[in-house]
Amino acid sequence: MEWKLFADLAEHAGDRHVAVDAEPGETVGDALDDLLADRPALADRVLEDGELRSQINVLRNGKDVRSQEDGLETELEDGDELALFPPVSGG
Amino acid sequence: MKVLGICGRDVADDALERTADRIVDRLSREGRVGVIWYDATIADGTPELRDPSITPGGDVTYDLGADGDWTATGTDLSVSDALDTFAGDCAYAVVVGVESLRYPTVLVGESDDRPRSTVATVPTPADLDLEAIVETLEDAEPHETLESLVARVKRSPDADRAGAIATFTGRVRAKDSTDDARTEYLEFEKYEGVADERLESLRTDLEDRDGVYAVELFHRTGVVRDGEDIVFVVVLAGHRGEAFRTVEDGIDRLKDEVPLFKKEVTVDDEFWVHERA
Repeated sequence: MEWKLFADLAEHAGDRHVAVDAEPGETVGDALDDLLADRPALADRVLEDGELRSQINVLRNGKDVRSQEDGLETELEDGDELALFPPVSGG
Repeated sequence: MKVLGICGRDVADDALERTADRIVDRLSREGRVGVIWYDATIADGTPELRDPSITPGGDVTYDLGADGDWTATGTDLSVSDALDTFAGDCAYAVVVGVESLRYPTVLVGESDDRPRSTVATVPTPADLDLEAIVETLEDAEPHETLESLVARVKRSPDADRAGAIATFTGRVRAKDSTDDARTEYLEFEKYEGVADERLESLRTDLEDRDGVYAVELFHRTGVVRDGEDIVFVVVLAGHRGEAFRTVEDGIDRLKDEVPLFKKEVTVDDEFWVHERA
């Protein structure tokens, strides 16, 4: 699976695109754990008491996993595109 | 309107002309093409008259023919102004000889010193891959102005029933208060693909409203300097009430829903705007 990261989250991760080991059948949460495992700066930015901060967005194939899917329990499928980003600030 | 730059490095005098000629010919098959030849040596914006002893007044002159053909001379027109005037009715603009263009640029000649926006480098005009250029432009960010979007909604098939156009323009604010550090530019990052999908679904949502006939939304990405426009929302509606409501909801929802991220660079700081909100 590949994560796309935006704005300061990409800066904390040191990259805009990060490949992780999570496989189809595992969950978005597993892919997030893989992403944060060796990136303490990013983990510190997006987690609060071990939980994902409410203002951090997680998308799977353009859909918000919290409001449109099963949250971090959403099951991964082959070829999924995952995205992690802070509150949007266009305009 | 899609914009393409052409620049040269140590090439024969006519290489830029022949490059522009081939590219403009190809683009003309797709739509109307505007061409800007930048030449820093032009220093006289007055027309040539039949009687050279007469120096006419006027800062801008159009020589008009009966069937709409024209030539023009004048002063105080920047490359960006010229692009803005093309944007209303051209599908493409080709800009020759400008190094710092923020649009895709073709470089003619061999050099390591390429403009940052270079998308193709060719040794001679004969080496151009015209189809690849058309494809590159398809994916490139268009040049839009408030006027070009207004012109587009006026071409709506339902324009006969529309008595109102409401617009919103968002621009870079240099200062929030008198003693605020001056903002030099904003830099917008976009989630490619998803941002465009959400803009399109927002547009169709707004167009589905009763009495709303056409909606255009456009947001620039990359660097937008102090005083420049960032975002436009244009609504064509039957009456002013639904036009005003829709334009307000349009910009509010764009700011809430579309994955765009704004970095602000002031004279003494640099920060992501969501971290200060």
